[in-house]
Amino acid sequence: MDAVSPYTLKPWLAQYGSHIAAELQAPQHGSLAALADDAVRRFASQPGFTTVTPNGMNGSLRYEQVGEMSDAFAVFLRDVLKVAAGDRVAIQMPNCLAYPVVLLGVLKAGCVAVNTNPLYTPTEMAHQFNDSGARVVVIIDLYADKLQQALPQTGVQHVVTTRISEFFPPLVGPIVHAVLKYWQRAIPQHGLSATTLPKALAQARALGNVAARARGHAQALTHDSLALLQYTGGTTGVAKGAMLTHGNLLWNLAQMRAMCDSHITDGREVVLTALPLYHVFAFTVNFLCMFAAGAHNVLVPNPRPIGNLQRAIENYRITWITGVNTLYNALLSEEWFTAFPPRHLKAAGGGGAAMHHAVVARFEKVTGAPLVEGYGLTETSPVVCFQPLNAPRQRDSIGIPAPMTEVRLVDDQGIDVAVGAPGELLVRGPQVMQGYWQRPEASAEVLKDGWLTTGDIAVMDEHGTFRIVDRRKDMILVSGFNVYPNEVEDALSQLDGVMEAAVIGVPDARSGEAVVACVVKRDPSLDAAAVLQHCRSVMTGYKVPSRVIFRDELPKTPVGKILRRELRDELRAATAKAKD
Amino acid sequence: MLSPLETTLLGVMMMVIMLGMGASLTFKDFAIALRKPQGIAVGLVCQYGLMPALAFGLAKLLALPPAYAIGLILMGCMPGGTTSNIFTYFSKGTLSLSILMTMSSTLVAIVMVPLTLAFYSSGIEGDWQIPRENVLQVLVVLLVPTLIGMALRRWNANAGAVIEMIGGLLGVLVIVFLVVSWVPRNIGLLLSTGFPVFAASIMLGLIGMALGYGLSRLLRQDARRARTIAMETGIQNGPLGVLIVVLSFTGTQQQEVLLIPVLYSLFIVLTSSAVTVWFRRISTREELARDNAKIGALAAG
Repeated sequence: MDAVSPYTLKPWLAQYGSHIAAELQAPQHGSLAALADDAVRRFASQPGFTTVTPNGMNGSLRYEQVGEMSDAFAVFLRDVLKVAAGDRVAIQMPNCLAYPVVLLGVLKAGCVAVNTNPLYTPTEMAHQFNDSGARVVVIIDLYADKLQQALPQTGVQHVVTTRISEFFPPLVGPIVHAVLKYWQRAIPQHGLSATTLPKALAQARALGNVAARARGHAQALTHDSLALLQYTGGTTGVAKGAMLTHGNLLWNLAQMRAMCDSHITDGREVVLTALPLYHVFAFTVNFLCMFAAGAHNVLVPNPRPIGNLQRAIENYRITWITGVNTLYNALLSEEWFTAFPPRHLKAAGGGGAAMHHAVVARFEKVTGAPLVEGYGLTETSPVVCFQPLNAPRQRDSIGIPAPMTEVRLVDDQGIDVAVGAPGELLVRGPQVMQGYWQRPEASAEVLKDGWLTTGDIAVMDEHGTFRIVDRRKDMILVSGFNVYPNEVEDALSQLDGVMEAAVIGVPDARSGEAVVACVVKRDPSLDAAAVLQHCRSVMTGYKVPSRVIFRDELPKTPVGKILRRELRDELRAATAKAKD
Repeated sequence: MLSPLETTLLGVMMMVIMLGMGASLTFKDFAIALRKPQGIAVGLVCQYGLMPALAFGLAKLLALPPAYAIGLILMGCMPGGTTSNIFTYFSKGTLSLSILMTMSSTLVAIVMVPLTLAFYSSGIEGDWQIPRENVLQVLVVLLVPTLIGMALRRWNANAGAVIEMIGGLLGVLVIVFLVVSWVPRNIGLLLSTGFPVFAASIMLGLIGMALGYGLSRLLRQDARRARTIAMETGIQNGPLGVLIVVLSFTGTQQQEVLLIPVLYSLFIVLTSSAVTVWFRRISTREELARDNAKIGALAAG
């Protein structure tokens, strides 16, 4: 690399000031299991997790309970099911008390956790379980019927079921379960031969001395041991499992902690977890980072409609919130939130997709707490960049790289671009994954000399603050001109009649690619002519969509990111059909 | 009509229901309702401005005989009923506003009911007796369980939620009981009653809700508040009306005057249930729409 490259100078270090440590010691714990044991010892009698249902019913586990139960689950896996160290265990549930117990149990057993979206279809489930080679699946009863459909096509040998009301107090637990089962009819009948989580724990406890047994199973773990297969659909189609080690995750939570240290006091934080823990952002930031800090984690199984968060926010002294733009936006349109925002809130974090600065500004005005935006990928555990909490923040930026993280922007030839010029973002650091599970070619494609190619186009200013311009794979090439969908989408969303919009490129005989706008109307009277007229008034000709398609909704990921790839596939299929 | 035992039982159930309603509320909810006190003012205007005038108009339009007209006007002049709170709860309205409106309209009833009655029934014989202790009783039945419910919820969220569910369940049971039992037990009365009386008994509630909604929107209340005020306006305190008639009239005259208050009390349960289902759907749809709202709309709102 060129010695005068602006990126080797790490201009962002000047922004760390006295609040962020630039050099971090290697994580003191040998594994996440050791980290969990340490946290359980330090914060034993403090509340660790509380699940809050929309009507305020709740159940909680203290740190010591999470410790004992996860020990028992580790023993169940290794000594009852005779699963081997390194075997994959899929975890498929929304936020609930069973999650930390099972996840930590899997890690303590020396097994590899496979976070799985519970909303997956049987086909997607089968793919993920086969690809990862999962031997055990721990699933919420809400979706057991789908697992039953997928199971014959997989090598899964054992199924453990759990429920939203798991570990809830007597009377309350059965009521929550009964309401789900008989009133909302959300719990299907299934014919799986499965063990319930409480029975699994009981079987392990019957063997005696679960703590010592679990300690034994975790002993061989090192920073290089695989902890997690986190699947990412990516923009290329088939979901691949990013291999994250204990070391990757330990480093990333340390990096995250360093970025936020001024706003986290051990044993004093109460964090609202509305994002799903099976997503890497909530997994590392809300779960691992906050568990290590002795925080009380308030888990919301389903944040939609947003009123489901009201009881959680009213009944607990929330000091931290993480979320995505849509979540903050929804909160800000609720009177109960804006009239009485959480008084103890210290900070909020946003990520997953770009935050709108109007949302950030209003959230900060309403709560008086900073809302900082970050950037990361499944492949990087996930945190790469975050806006600093104690420095003036730059609008629409993803902030600065975390400590011990190297970031470069390169052109098509892989040569560093100048300050202010757009280039593809590359990352190197201890949080970067080992590769994709059993996909050496795909891994080699994105990992070179430890540098991960992100596929995101960004620019860096002279102070080392980064701003994402767009996804490289989403970039549209119109007659040789680069069109960034984000820019066109921003322009479209300025129109009041537009609820949301996604912009994609489709093959075009004349221009190579053509810009297509998919728009969800807010005002039913909005027509294509009005949309195009507005676009022409704010953008150069080649960026103006050649077609406007109105839709009822846009395909999205569980965290609310718009799936442009699905839109492209749909459009391609529709075009092919039209030609037939 | 209900027997004294049933009335007492219903009263006790009402208190349990209000305990549940209270358990669904926080002091913040009331603070939010009071942040826009014009909501309560609008409610009072609907209650004592719209409803008596509507009752008077309906009586004239349907050319009701004096005894029936008096019954109708009396119902128009009544404060809001406590069942409005249950219906508001189920329709996902602003429960705190509903309770504040019921309390305030009941409180001012001591002054406003005689005033409006005297105004609209001038020239018609009658020595109105407004039973203050009953007005007080309504307030106590409303306020005390609500406060206990709120305190329970604050003390323990799980206990609060369980009580809320019990109250809600009981609320549904009471409403279903009233709806399915009133036709058979009042069949004779229904068969012997003419169209104008039916029309008056039903329309007072329905038109009252429609006008309440319209006026609230006109006075810039948001849609959810307007639906709450509409419910509150249309749903009158039927039992209080019946009581006033019993205290003020005797003999056949009492029976005649009583007809519309009784019929109104029966029909309002039916119409409110239907409206609740409708309003609940709208509220759910609005909740999801707010989830998707844009910040631009929000900054303006």
